[in-house]
Amino acid sequence: MEQALEAEGLGKRYGRTWALQDCSLQLPPGRVAALVGPNGAGKSTLLHLAVGLLKPDSGRVRVFGREPRGGPEVLDEIGFVAQDTPLYRDFTARELISLGGRLNRRWDAALARDRLSALHIPPDRPVGKLSGGQRAQVALALALAKRPRLLLLDEPVAALDPLARREFMQALMGAVAESETTVLFSSHLLAELERTCDHLIVLQTAHVQLSGSVDELLDGHRLLIGPRDAATPAGVDKVVRAAHTERQSTLLVRSRALPAPASGWTEHEVGLEDLVLAYLADAETREAETAWEVTA
Amino acid sequence: MIWLTWRQHRKEVLYTLIALAALAAILVPTGLTMHGRFEDTGLKACMDGLGTASLIPQTESAAECQRLANEFQQKYSSLAFVAVLFVILPVFVGVFFGAPLVARELEQGTHRFVWTQGVSRTRWALAKLGLIGGFALLVAVVYALGVSWWFTPLVAAVGSRMEYLAFDVQGVVPVAYTLFALALGVFTGTYWRRVLPAMGVALAGFTVVRGGIELLARPRYLAPKELTYSLLSTDQPNSASGDWIQSHGVRDGSGELIMPDARMGPCPAESACGQEIQSLGPGAHQWQLYQPGDRFWLFQGIETGIFLALTALLIVLALRRLRTLA
Repeated sequence: MEQALEAEGLGKRYGRTWALQDCSLQLPPGRVAALVGPNGAGKSTLLHLAVGLLKPDSGRVRVFGREPRGGPEVLDEIGFVAQDTPLYRDFTARELISLGGRLNRRWDAALARDRLSALHIPPDRPVGKLSGGQRAQVALALALAKRPRLLLLDEPVAALDPLARREFMQALMGAVAESETTVLFSSHLLAELERTCDHLIVLQTAHVQLSGSVDELLDGHRLLIGPRDAATPAGVDKVVRAAHTERQSTLLVRSRALPAPASGWTEHEVGLEDLVLAYLADAETREAETAWEVTA
Repeated sequence: MIWLTWRQHRKEVLYTLIALAALAAILVPTGLTMHGRFEDTGLKACMDGLGTASLIPQTESAAECQRLANEFQQKYSSLAFVAVLFVILPVFVGVFFGAPLVARELEQGTHRFVWTQGVSRTRWALAKLGLIGGFALLVAVVYALGVSWWFTPLVAAVGSRMEYLAFDVQGVVPVAYTLFALALGVFTGTYWRRVLPAMGVALAGFTVVRGGIELLARPRYLAPKELTYSLLSTDQPNSASGDWIQSHGVRDGSGELIMPDARMGPCPAESACGQEIQSLGPGAHQWQLYQPGDRFWLFQGIETGIFLALTALLIVLALRRLRTLA
C-alpha cells in the first residue's frame, strides 16, 4: 500500500549537530497521527522535510511515493500549517483566500469561506489584528482549502489558550472526519492525545523512539508490578522503563503477549500518556549516559 | 504572483513615486532656470565654440568664456549639494526594496506559508525579483535621465562630467548602482534573515564596494594620458574639453615634479612670473595626467558592466541560498 508519508534513514544536520537522524517511519493514509516529543527533539525538522522546506542530508522522505522537493505537484497534495501559524499580517482573511487561489492549482475557496463564516471570523480585518485562536483557524482553513491528501501541522495549538486550543482541535477533527485526509500534527502536549489520534510517532534527541498505530502500541506494551529483584518474566521483548521502590518493581515492558502471568507479577494495561512518558524518559536517560560516558 | 507582489509592496511603490514626484518638483524648476541661464548668458555657445581639444590658445573669447563660467558657477554652485543627495538615492531604492524581499518573509515566518503553496520557491523568487527589479529599473532610468539633464549645465561650467560626483549621477551608472543595491539587499536578506540587519549590512556593503570601485578601479579603467606643454606657450587647458585631470604640476628639465598641483603661465617674460619661470631652468614644463573627456561613455559602460556583473552574481548566490532556507 502506498504510504501517505514514508521516511527511510532520514537525517538533517545543522552544522555538526543532527536535528534528525536515522529516521524511518511509515504513516498509512487515513490516519490521524500525533508527532510527540519535547522541544528541540526534531519535530519541526521532520515536518519541514516532509513539506519540502528542507532538503535531507541523508536518507529520503516520500509523500504518496514522491519526493516533496520533486516539484510543485507534490506540494498540491500537502496542506501545511507552520508553527505560530504565520500569515501576512496586513492581509485580510478574504485577501488570503484570494491569494491561495492564485498560488494553487486546486483551491476550494468556498470551503475556506464557509469555515471562517461558521467561526464568525471577520473577513475584512487584517489577520494580524485577530486573536491567536482566530488566526490559527484562518491558517487551518487555508490549508484545508487546498484539499490536501496529507495535512501537516506544526504545534498548531502550542500558543493558544485552553479554550481556543479545544476549538481548534474540534475544528481539525471535524474537517478530517469529513474528508479522507491523512493528518500529522506535532505537539509537546500529551493530554487528549488518546481522544484525537490513532497513530503515534515519538521523537526525542533527533531519533524516532516509537512509531505505530495507537491500538498496536497499547496492545504491545504492558505494565508489570512485582517483587523487587525478581527475574524479569519470560516473554518480555524489552524493558522500556523500570522503577523500583524498596520492595516492589514496576516495569513497563514491550511484549507481544505474555504466555501466563508470571509468578508474583501482576499485569496491567498501559495508558497512552504513560507509554509516551516512559519512552521519552528512557531516551533521556540513554542520552545523558552517552553524554557523561557512563554505562547503565 | 503579480497580485501578491503588488499587494505586498504597494506601499513602498507609492512612497517611491511620491519621492520621485518631490524630486521632480525640485529638479524641474531649478533645471529649467539653469538651462535657460546657461544659454541666455551665451555660456553654452561659448563653450561649444571652444571645442573639445585638451589645449587651446589663450584668446579673448576663451577668457570671456571663463568669466561667464565663473559667474554661472557662483550663482548655482550651492545647488551642487543636491547632487550629493542624488548619489545616495539609488542605494535607498535598492535597500528598501531589496532587503525586505526575503528577510521580511523569514522574520515573520511567512516563507513557510508562501513556499508551501503550489508555487515553487524559485518561481516565487524569480517573479518577485523580476517585478521589483523591473520597477526599480524604471525608477532608476527616470531618475538617471532627469538628473543627467538637470546636472549638465552645472557640470559643464564647473569642470568635467568625468569627475567624482558628476560621473556618479549621470549616464547609465545610476541604473546599475540601483540594481546592484537591490540585489545586495536581497542577498543580505537571505543570510541575516531580519529586515533591519539586512538593510544595515547591505548599506555598508554597498558603500564599501561603490567607494572601492570608484576610488581604486575607475581611475585605472584605461591608462591615463599625459600632456606636457611649455610654460612659455600661450596655450592653456581647455575648460570645455571635459577632461578628467587626475594630477598636474610643473616639472623641470629632467622630468622631476618640482611643483605639484601648480599651474604657471603663460605670462610676459619681463613680469615677476616670467622671471620665476626662467629661474626654473631650461626645459621646465607644465604637465598633466588625465582621462580624456571623450572616454566618458566608455567609462560609464565599464562601470555599468562591473556593477551588472556583481548584480548577477549576487542574484545567483541569493537563489542558491534560498533553496537551503526553511
